Amino acid sequence: MKNRIKVERAIHNLTQEELAKKVGVSRQTINAMEANKYVPSTVLALKVGRIFGKQVEEIFELDEGD
Amino acid sequence: MSHSLLLPHQYKKIGWWLFVPSLLLGIFVTTNLYELPELNAHMFSLIPEFSQDKFARTIWFIDTNLTHTIVGVLFIISALMVGFSKEQNEDEYIARLRLSSLLWAVLFNYILLLLSFIFVYGFGFFTVMLYNMFTVLLLFIFRFRYLLYRSKTAFADEK
Repeated sequence: MKNRIKVERAIHNLTQEELAKKVGVSRQTINAMEANKYVPSTVLALKVGRIFGKQVEEIFELDEGD
Repeated sequence: MSHSLLLPHQYKKIGWWLFVPSLLLGIFVTTNLYELPELNAHMFSLIPEFSQDKFARTIWFIDTNLTHTIVGVLFIISALMVGFSKEQNEDEYIARLRLSSLLWAVLFNYILLLLSFIFVYGFGFFTVMLYNMFTVLLLFIFRFRYLLYRSKTAFADEK
């Protein structure tokens, strides 16, 4: 799964730490998602979407491998 | 992974304070590097011993040296506290690291045990069994700490 978290974070001018606080997870989780090492749960994906004011599918996208 | 089985985060600190000394004591006890004082006590034994005399009777209470018992109990309790207390920022990703560390530890432990079964015999195997009682917890703790450390230091691409 690909995601645009890093891009959205830049648009909203948030550090990983700040985004992590807003979403209520650890900084490692944001970092792992951005590095495509971790596929978040649906709940977490929805929360990230809400912070950026976007639909989940505008941030997360299926990969060829999925 | 259900978080309901994990202890609150505060137990982690207490766990570490007990874990380090009991690990050292455990090494002393099993290697005889340093002789610990004997603590003899009269204890209830769940599996009875049979006495040698004619009127064979079961003995439920035995006289034993409690040093090994105390060290073993301390080690297990403290290792459980260290391994199964919540992290300060326990979330779904940390839970996944925890679970994958546990899988890794069980697998690695049984590979070691399998090799020991094949290559270690006699009294040496007794030593293997002795350590094997504690290695799952040890391997799990070390693997989990390592994964946490690695994920904390992976911030090269912050911006």
